[in-house]
Amino acid sequence: MSSGYISKDKRIPLADLAAKITDGASVALGGSFLHRGPFALVRELIRQGRRDLEIVKQSPGYDIDILCRAGVASKARAGIVAMEGNFGLAPYYRKAVQDGALTLEEHACASLTAGLRAAAFGVPFQPCGGLQGSAFPKLNEWQQIDDPYGSGQSVFVIPAIRPDYAVIHASEVDAAGNVRVYGTAHWDRIMSRAADKVLVVAERCVDTQTFVDAPETTLIPYFMVEAVSICPRGAWPGSNHPDYDIDYPAVEAYLEQGDDVLQRHLDSAPEVDADTQRSMAHG
Amino acid sequence: MAEQWSGFSYVVTNLARFIRPEEITFSGVNSTPPMLACLLAKRAYDWDFIYINVAGGVDPTVEKVPLSSSDPALANGSASIFSNEDFYDLCTRGRMDLTFLGAAQIDGEGNVNNSAIGDWHKPKVRLPGGGGGAVMLPTARRACTWRTEHSTRTLVDKLHFLTSWGGMSGVVTPIAVFVKRDGRLALESWHPEVELEEVRERTGFSFDASQAAPTAPPTEAERAALAAIDPDGRFEQDAAIKLH
Repeated sequence: MSSGYISKDKRIPLADLAAKITDGASVALGGSFLHRGPFALVRELIRQGRRDLEIVKQSPGYDIDILCRAGVASKARAGIVAMEGNFGLAPYYRKAVQDGALTLEEHACASLTAGLRAAAFGVPFQPCGGLQGSAFPKLNEWQQIDDPYGSGQSVFVIPAIRPDYAVIHASEVDAAGNVRVYGTAHWDRIMSRAADKVLVVAERCVDTQTFVDAPETTLIPYFMVEAVSICPRGAWPGSNHPDYDIDYPAVEAYLEQGDDVLQRHLDSAPEVDADTQRSMAHG
Repeated sequence: MAEQWSGFSYVVTNLARFIRPEEITFSGVNSTPPMLACLLAKRAYDWDFIYINVAGGVDPTVEKVPLSSSDPALANGSASIFSNEDFYDLCTRGRMDLTFLGAAQIDGEGNVNNSAIGDWHKPKVRLPGGGGGAVMLPTARRACTWRTEHSTRTLVDKLHFLTSWGGMSGVVTPIAVFVKRDGRLALESWHPEVELEEVRERTGFSFDASQAAPTAPPTEAERAALAAIDPDGRFEQDAAIKLH
């Protein structure tokens, strides 16, 4: 069996994409805070009643919060968690940690990246700069090793972090799954190399020729991508630069307390809208 | 006097005063005051510095300042996108001159807790986490932080958890500016509307104030820059900083 994904048309509905992620899976999510996160897929995992997911992300916010609110996530490896902007802490994440519903492996963003790099490089661990004096190494049982080449320096080494899936929200894909992101890619590139499998949600599908015309703008080549879904405004209520900004009123509405708030929020998401469904169907 | 220094303008402007010519300065996520400080410094000072940010911007031209300090708008006008991995690597190889990092609790050496109030394993309050701090604080040439509340709750003798070690070289609160001197935070200056004694009472660690004086008022250029960055007062309103 091939190590790559050779199909030239990987487009599937969002529900089918989410169904690939099984209960208990470890999932790296792309983007940062309210920017270009694969939020449509995150919401679909909630609709499908997924349980016991581990979320891997340097700076999760809305995604980990809504997954905690819905009882989907039970573990997280993260560096900093907040709603950000002027919204402050992520309240349902915070409650889940305080109640013991979510087990946290707390990282510095760069140590999480080091673990992902180890997986991407195919080695068992990766040195990470800094971390001196922090309580993290003891907390996470990270080992400190001396430079075997005799510089006299020592460094903390982070064990490999290999998520089952990386889920990326992209600006553009082609049918085969080449991936393009405008603006900063955050940690999406290293996530895609570290994870066992890559799933992509994209704003739109464009011709392969546009990728051929500018191959240096391709973040992930098609053969690494298992499947893609086309979902306009799929990063809502976050931003997807340069197409749309954060929907601040929607985030405020999400943060309200009340039993029906989550369901109302899920029902008002773009991916349940009829026009969006039509564009998704047409890729 | 009150017109000269609101708590908000005091924090933002004094953070900007830590920025130096020609240096590489970084502002990150969840970091509205330093984002504003960097944008203020670009406008207010007649020298240039290299401003990179978590949105990937390198010397961006920011027309409308976003509410989120990681908004891609902070890369507008940038000639490159400097990735999130890149700025950590830049820092660990010793080339980050000044980084701004958040802090929930700060001790007298400038070390930071961003993780939990109470026991980490059974937190009374789970905090956001330190983000880059544990890697950047020991490796950056200088690091500065801010608190919008100056109290013994935030400026503590003993941290509940040591998220990041290495010590801030600068700390700004609504009423005081501290700098690192001989391994300890020393008072550099204080808000002219506040007594030095009040700064001591509201600080949980002991500090040297022998070289401190009331903070110099904002210059016309600093004042004008902040007004241009926050024309409708939205940031000031969101920050809701009180002096007392």
